[in-house]
Amino acid sequence: MSLGLRDLRSESLLPGTSACPGCPENMAMRMVGMSLGKDVVMVVVAGCSSVIQGIGPKNAYGYPVLNIAFAAGPAAASGMWRAFKQRNKNVTVVVWAGDGGTADIGFASLSGAAERNEDFIYLCVDNEAYMNSGGQRSGSTPHGAVTSTTPEGKKENKKELLFIMLDHNVPYLATASVGYPHDLIDKLRVAKEIQGFRYVQVLTPDPYGWLFDPSKTAEVGKLAVQTCYWPLIEVIDRKVKISNESLHCLKKETRRPLKDFLSVQGRYKKLSEKDYQELENYVDDLWERIISML
Amino acid sequence: MMKVISGNEAVALAVKLARVGVVGIYPITPQTTIIEELAEMKARGEISTDVVRVESEHSAMGVTLGAAVSGVRAFTATSSQGLLYMHEMIWWAAGSRAPIVMVVATRAVGAPWNIWNENTDFMSERDSGWIMSFASSPQEALDLTIQAFRISEDPRVFTPMMVGMDGFILSHTKTNVYIPSQEEVDQFIPPRRQPYVIDPETKESMGNIFQPYHYMKLRQSIHDAINESKEVITEVGREYEKLNPLTDYKTLNVSYKLEDADFAVVTMGAWSLDAMEAVDRLRDRGVNVGLYRVRYVRPWAEEEIIQNLGDKKAILVFDRATSLGRAGPLYLEMKATLDNPMKGVIAGLGGVSMGKKDFYEVISRFVEESKEGRLKGVEWYYPREVKEVELGTPRSSI
Repeated sequence: MSLGLRDLRSESLLPGTSACPGCPENMAMRMVGMSLGKDVVMVVVAGCSSVIQGIGPKNAYGYPVLNIAFAAGPAAASGMWRAFKQRNKNVTVVVWAGDGGTADIGFASLSGAAERNEDFIYLCVDNEAYMNSGGQRSGSTPHGAVTSTTPEGKKENKKELLFIMLDHNVPYLATASVGYPHDLIDKLRVAKEIQGFRYVQVLTPDPYGWLFDPSKTAEVGKLAVQTCYWPLIEVIDRKVKISNESLHCLKKETRRPLKDFLSVQGRYKKLSEKDYQELENYVDDLWERIISML
Repeated sequence: MMKVISGNEAVALAVKLARVGVVGIYPITPQTTIIEELAEMKARGEISTDVVRVESEHSAMGVTLGAAVSGVRAFTATSSQGLLYMHEMIWWAAGSRAPIVMVVATRAVGAPWNIWNENTDFMSERDSGWIMSFASSPQEALDLTIQAFRISEDPRVFTPMMVGMDGFILSHTKTNVYIPSQEEVDQFIPPRRQPYVIDPETKESMGNIFQPYHYMKLRQSIHDAINESKEVITEVGREYEKLNPLTDYKTLNVSYKLEDADFAVVTMGAWSLDAMEAVDRLRDRGVNVGLYRVRYVRPWAEEEIIQNLGDKKAILVFDRATSLGRAGPLYLEMKATLDNPMKGVIAGLGGVSMGKKDFYEVISRFVEESKEGRLKGVEWYYPREVKEVELGTPRSSI
């Protein structure tokens, strides 16, 4: 794609939101607006994005939003697109949920909607913890990360939503990072043209939870991809395609050292050598599985 | 048209006649046959309704709410544990002022497991901001469900509405039901009306964070709408006479032999008919007693109740539900409405059967007690065969 980001208009955000400085979700929201155009309705489940839109009855999002209880996003979206279909309206329904809403409390609803192949885009903004309530661990928090409920560092690995959703045989699945906006925008544009359940998981590094300077959000999002901690892939009809930005991860020797990603974040300050090894293994396993699917 | 059908079949028919757009379904006993019937109708091509088979009751209300706020008529049904699992979404629907209709086939709530009838599940939702009616026959289940679409979609109301009916006793019992024609229902229920439609054209957004003072005003608006719905309910009830001239819906609640009565019995739901038979027998024996059947829990028909029961010497309230550690919810509501001497009886929980003999026994004892001026507050009543059942409870085993 030859367009620069400045050439792309975003319909999704109005000037002035309640987001924190350096907020990756605001970045992702803008990219959604750059990709999906006008006829979009959003379902926002409990999380930072319920707050970022500001205080009602006004709203800083350019799209109509149904804010809904934590576990109900995919169910509500199922009802919505079916209603639009009955009314002969061509509307793209997007569920916007964090990793807690996706991996934990909302998982049954997500899995049910995916199994029924409901016709909407499910967007998981993965900042790897419950950031809206002060940074508690979620099922998506990686091993070793310090959160407000794992002050000693999380003992378990990140729940692999990518593979779990792959096993639901959804028509479209992709991962992206706010560090690579073009990649995300391209993927959302592809997703928009596909019918059925579309799952997109975006890594959204959070300056306040991951403990880095708010000016570095995009940079940390890039480092996650460069060190192969976060793969950029796309799966259409079970065919796996690796984005250019992640191609170097196919071979272990061309990967950037993982510590380049970990060392810029305060949440890994207490990482022991063993924890570090665990995370390296995690990345190796991740890529082994992806390669096995090629 | 008259047809012998069960309460659950009557509800499914009402949903069909109301031309519902989206139904979110999840099975739970004893509601199951409602959604099975709807699925059958869909398979036979009798309805254009989108029947969504979801993975939980929480999602059933999620789907229903999503469809309702996006501009189509939506319905779901549940029971017991399912209703409680859905509890969060019931509040979300009320707060969204989304016209939705739900039928609750009532059932006891565990633990321990019990699939039989009790109204505690239904009554535990009375703070959530829904209009709540309760049927006493499959006929009323059908009629109230049809009326619910009209009432909840009235611009003076715009509040979801649930219709309760006694699980198994009504849900699975077949009786003669008068069914209005499709044309009649089409004329009775106007095209879908709702306060907001989420749509790229309208750009409405719902449910984000509100300031405390806005939030409180919104809560009051729901409270006011439910209170003001009394007028709409009676208006809709009067008009429903065109569809079913056999049942009277001109008032919220129903009086039986009350006008000249000194003593009044208050009931709700299916067992009201057994209680009415007991009242008849007592009347034959010269006891001056009448019955008042609660058909609407929300709105609470305060004026109607005072008008009908205000002058009674004593009132006996039957509850098939509990607020454990306190009393039956109907009794508490009546206590808050009337100053008359009053007694509450909790009975029939978890499927314990109450026949007209039991009602006769309790009512005659109540009349004697009130004549002697020794009305007890709240009593747990067990029929003879249950009185003999022994049960080791944690306290008694120590």
